[in-house]
Amino acid sequence: MRYSPLSTNNQEKIDSLAVFLYVVLLLIGFISIASATSDVNQAFYSLSDIAIKQLVFIFGAILIIFTIVFSNVVVIDYFAYGFYAIAIALNILVLFLGREISGAKSWFGFGGFGIQPSEFAKVATAIALSKFLGTYGVKFQGTKNVAKAIGIFLLPMAIILIQNDTGSALVFLSFFLVLYREGLPGYILVSAVWLGILAIFRIISEATGISSFYGYGILLGLGSIIVFFVRKDRGIAILVTTIAVISSLFYTIVGTFYSKILMQYQRDRIELVLGLKEDDRGMGFNLKQSKIAIGAGEMWGRGYLKGTQTKMGFVPEQHTDFIFDAIGEEWGFVGSTLFLLIFCGLLVRLVIMAERQSTVFGRVLGYSLASVLFFHMSINIGMTMGLVPTIGIPLPFISAGGSSLWAFTLFLFTFLRVDQVRK
Amino acid sequence: MDKNRSKQLVFLGLIFLIFVIYTLRLASLQLGEVPYKKMAINNALNKITLYPSRSNVFDRKGKLMVYSTQMYDLSVFPYEIKKLDTGLLCSVLELDIQTVRGLIADARVRAKKRQKNNSFNNSALFYANLSNKQFTLLRENIYRLNGFFIESRTDRQFATPTLSHALGYLGEADEELIASDEYYQPGDLVGITGLERYYEKQIRGIKGVKTVWQDRTYTERGVVKDTQFNYPATAGPDVISSLDFVLQEYGRELLNGKKGSIVAIEPRTGEVLAFINNPDYDPNTMVGRDRANTFKTLLRDPQKPLYNRAVKGVYPPGSTFKTVMALIAMQEGVLTPETTHGCGGGYRLGSIRVGCHPHGGPLDLRGSIRISCNSYYCQVFRDIIDNPEYGNVKVGYAALEKHWRSFGLGSPLDIDLLGESRGNIPSVSQLDKRHGDRWKSSTIISLSIGQGEILLTPLQMCNTAAIIANRGWYYAPHLVKRIDGYKDTAWDRKYKIKKFTTVDPRYFQYVIDGMSDVTKPGGTANGTGIENIEICAKTGTAQNPHGKDHSIYIAFAPKDNPKIAIAVLVENGGFGATWAAPIANLMIEKYLLGKAESAEPAMEERIKTSVIQ
Repeated sequence: MRYSPLSTNNQEKIDSLAVFLYVVLLLIGFISIASATSDVNQAFYSLSDIAIKQLVFIFGAILIIFTIVFSNVVVIDYFAYGFYAIAIALNILVLFLGREISGAKSWFGFGGFGIQPSEFAKVATAIALSKFLGTYGVKFQGTKNVAKAIGIFLLPMAIILIQNDTGSALVFLSFFLVLYREGLPGYILVSAVWLGILAIFRIISEATGISSFYGYGILLGLGSIIVFFVRKDRGIAILVTTIAVISSLFYTIVGTFYSKILMQYQRDRIELVLGLKEDDRGMGFNLKQSKIAIGAGEMWGRGYLKGTQTKMGFVPEQHTDFIFDAIGEEWGFVGSTLFLLIFCGLLVRLVIMAERQSTVFGRVLGYSLASVLFFHMSINIGMTMGLVPTIGIPLPFISAGGSSLWAFTLFLFTFLRVDQVRK
Repeated sequence: MDKNRSKQLVFLGLIFLIFVIYTLRLASLQLGEVPYKKMAINNALNKITLYPSRSNVFDRKGKLMVYSTQMYDLSVFPYEIKKLDTGLLCSVLELDIQTVRGLIADARVRAKKRQKNNSFNNSALFYANLSNKQFTLLRENIYRLNGFFIESRTDRQFATPTLSHALGYLGEADEELIASDEYYQPGDLVGITGLERYYEKQIRGIKGVKTVWQDRTYTERGVVKDTQFNYPATAGPDVISSLDFVLQEYGRELLNGKKGSIVAIEPRTGEVLAFINNPDYDPNTMVGRDRANTFKTLLRDPQKPLYNRAVKGVYPPGSTFKTVMALIAMQEGVLTPETTHGCGGGYRLGSIRVGCHPHGGPLDLRGSIRISCNSYYCQVFRDIIDNPEYGNVKVGYAALEKHWRSFGLGSPLDIDLLGESRGNIPSVSQLDKRHGDRWKSSTIISLSIGQGEILLTPLQMCNTAAIIANRGWYYAPHLVKRIDGYKDTAWDRKYKIKKFTTVDPRYFQYVIDGMSDVTKPGGTANGTGIENIEICAKTGTAQNPHGKDHSIYIAFAPKDNPKIAIAVLVENGGFGATWAAPIANLMIEKYLLGKAESAEPAMEERIKTSVIQ
């Protein structure tokens, strides 16, 4: 038998706090789905078809858990690239055999059920990345290794973009956070954030018709002032000058991209999220209804099964992407905050667990899980509250649907299993 | 600090940051100022208006005169129209696509307005008054028309076309009304004229509400189980009119082919028994989809069928006014029943000459009314205003004017209809303007015989007859006897308080004696009387500068304990005795004897079939 960092005789107990939080989230998810898909004037609800289906998915998830718990953890290590290859293959295959749902060709259809291979690509990619970075002798240094590591998650990301499932593709950006933990310099992430801010300002100036010269003025003016004060230190002066020039260049590119290359509906969507546009009935209807749903919850919520916004279909995708609305409307500020607390609690727990791994494999897997969950949660909930653009990705463990639930269950319990054999 | 440890803190910090930002955002949404909860409720509840039936209106004997019928409208949530199967809608309503687009645009505007008044509903009327065929087709297909639903409301059905000017018609509430009264929504029907208008608030009933859950596709998802959101409509209470349906119909028949008015009042109560105009219109054509078109046609009709002559038309009362002059002169002490004045075929004073028809020598008061002597009343008129006690013609005239006004002349009688004319009783200042400051009794001598500036509505003429019948008092005439369950002190003050004239009751008998001779041999309306009924009457002929004189006649009967007072005006009818008198007398006969066949069939037939151009 080959050496595996996971092979050990020393087995800890599975992390009970993480399992507990998982179960709580699953329960919250199920009752939220049941409510969002229930009918009005129903004193004691009979389960809707969707809720019953979700119950089946939950039983499926339990099967997955038992399978993982009773499997030899070494398999994960041995077949890491195999899983990755299968996931890539399935995601390519779906381009040809898939069923198109709301513009994205990312589903394999089996009668009434569908499987979304992109959901499973996340966990496969995380395992492959863990395997690569954990391989003896591989250091996260040098262009070649960095490029390989980035390539591992950019490949599935590209394929999923081709599937036209932008939301799921963007999720793979969260692996950059993992790379940060593994040594990717922080200034790259800071630069990315800085460029993001620049892009937003440029879009605002484009959308509102404010002359872009103010932007250039501020960038170059501020740059010049700083350079003037630090002119003694040539190194910093050159750095600041470079930043100002690159920023200005980027500023120009964003402007051109936004006004010349993006389609009108894409611009509309961005402008809506940035609050530059009021459109209550067209594009903005969904967002507006979502905000109404959450806002209607007020302090204590409207009561379980009493949220008319989600129940009556005013909120779009009320049992999948917008499931948080059901929580917000029926449980109010108190309930929603508690939910956020539980979810963030799981994230914190995962980060702590990732950090306690003795192997690079375990640590990368743990941070991957935490990063992907964090990305999903921030984007999904932010979207329902109008803080981030409407990007269609599910809320892990909560949204209805089998693929997402099974993939995240697989992801979580794979890591929990790895965590069990930490030294 | 360990570099890895600090990286872990960055992760934990990020999680914490998102938690804080999102909690703040939750707080701003859920604990902020924006009334999201109300918006959510508005989304999911559809308040469907339940329209009440308007009051049934009965005549004084219990005959149903107007009642409500069901009609159906197509309403819509205009913002859901984008998935509309326009072709289906066009074919069901039998409209072209341009019209449908126009209707959609209208509905959007209405929905916005409605939302201001009724925050629960942003639906709007799309197409009012569906035909039976449209209704049937729509009911089958409504599920294919997202956002559309059928609402029912009531319209009117009139038992007879003769009631148009008394009962009035309905129309759609205009924007002004909708803005000023929350009760009304676009498309609502509201009384525009007649009793329908005057008693709108009582007649309309109380709207009910059915609140249903509705989902995003505006599909009904059950009734809200909360009585606060659901209450039935309350129909308008029964309205008992004072009109006599049979008399009304009969009078309208008699007016066939003639322009004019008939008003009959029960003197004892002021209740209007008949209220007839010709031309009029069939109020049943003023319902449903064609309402607006019918209205336009009627408005353009040169015959002016919408014109309510009985309360808006003003005419010189002519010789019928002599009754009032005699009463006032007696009250002023310048005339006794025995006073006689000669007449040489007219009254001459300087250059003034008022003609009179040939009749036998000096007349007393009774004779002057029977014969309708002009000279007699010219003299009486001068005796009143040139009375040396007043010293000045204007002071004398002012005293006369005061007496006139006590008969309810020169101002509206306050009948329960809107737009009643006041007629005209010239004031001193009006005469000054007309004749210059230095006028004399001779200048305005034509007022003595009800000509000149004096103008009365047919209602005022009838009320004058009622006053004489009552020997000096009247109730303000009204068309409604009572409304079930409706008590209104303002209404009672208006119609339940006797108004007295300034003439002492004891003088009336002398005038009444003269009036009782009018239909007898030697009277001006000889030959038009009815056997077995003692009719007290006065003919009149109003000069008409535009054409042939108007035929006027006021009367009441029986002489003692009168049951009916009546005024008939036939435009261009010539002498009062020619048309107005026989019509009025036949009406009296019909009311008092209720005979199916007239005692004077020849007269009745002649009247019904005659046409005055």
